[in-house]
Amino acid sequence: MNKLLSEMRFTEEHEWVRQEGSTPHVTVGITDYAQDSLGDIVFVELPEVGSQVVEKDSIGAIESVKAVSDVYCPASGTVTEVNTELESTPEVVNTSPLEDGWLFKMELADVSSLDTLLTEKEYKDYLHGLE
Amino acid sequence: MAGSRSITVLNLGKISYRAAWQVQRSLLQAHRNDAKNKKSFLSEQHPGDVLIICEHEPVYTVGIREREYSQDEERLKALGADFVRTDRGGLITFHGPGQLVGYPVINLKNYSLGLRKYVSSLEKVLIKTCEMFGLQGKTTKDTGVWIDERKIAAIGISCKRYITQHGVSLNCNNDLSWFDHVIPCGIKGKGVTSLSQELGRKVSLQETEPLFLNSFCDVFGCTLAADEKLAENILLKADFIS
Repeated sequence: MNKLLSEMRFTEEHEWVRQEGSTPHVTVGITDYAQDSLGDIVFVELPEVGSQVVEKDSIGAIESVKAVSDVYCPASGTVTEVNTELESTPEVVNTSPLEDGWLFKMELADVSSLDTLLTEKEYKDYLHGLE
Repeated sequence: MAGSRSITVLNLGKISYRAAWQVQRSLLQAHRNDAKNKKSFLSEQHPGDVLIICEHEPVYTVGIREREYSQDEERLKALGADFVRTDRGGLITFHGPGQLVGYPVINLKNYSLGLRKYVSSLEKVLIKTCEMFGLQGKTTKDTGVWIDERKIAAIGISCKRYITQHGVSLNCNNDLSWFDHVIPCGIKGKGVTSLSQELGRKVSLQETEPLFLNSFCDVFGCTLAADEKLAENILLKADFIS
């Protein structure tokens, strides 16, 4: 089992959330399934650093060929950093969705909100249900 | 499972771009309410997946990469067209009388489609429609549908939690000179065309619509049903927003 994956949580909107230790700081990106179903990504719109965000709100967008898909907030909190590299190289989300293609970092308002997200197994089961 | 899915066709006729967009947003909201088991405000019966077909007054629209067009808005408005910033994919395009516009507001989960496959399905619908006129449409790396090096149809969509908005436009007998003022979809050095121009006769929307709808059924494996009552209901509301 991929150790990296097992530490992550997931959403039904195909985002992953990785916690830094047991801190309220998390990194958010989209899953490999998401980048594959989107196709070649040409533009990424991200939230502003410092913005207060609410769980399930649309806070950004990813444009693949001719199609825009919303990015949703996995949990409530404050955006602390965005991946500015994606402005000039959005295709990194395709090539490295779980690492270099991360979208933004945030400080959770409530760390326990992570518990409501899907585990890796639950996410995989969810993907099977979509097929 | 072909044929087990049903899509309601909503023919809005001639309607402003902004009003048609508002209708799409209302339908999206209806999908969401449906997911939460709330009653839709549009009608007692939630319409489910809908395919809007319509025709617009002259309008230039841009996608989310709209900053590339900050200089163009006033120049294009001076031509007598509206200019709208949208949340769809793709770059600048034009809609106007004589062009068939289709906006599927559907739940992609019902079709087990990812976005990329959805876009290629829309391309197939347009190619099939061209085929029915004896024209060989094709796709290129530049998406949209082409007759040789001439673009006949454009695609630009958005997707919010599996529900699609925006869609396709197919040039039937529209005035193509509107495209001279922009670089359609940001693709330089290529022309645009229409069914009428390719066939050397007037091809109307009325002639094209049934062929487009048939192609849509074939590609998406669905049945289509018109809902006059829903169309009336929505057009009444659209009056307030256009």
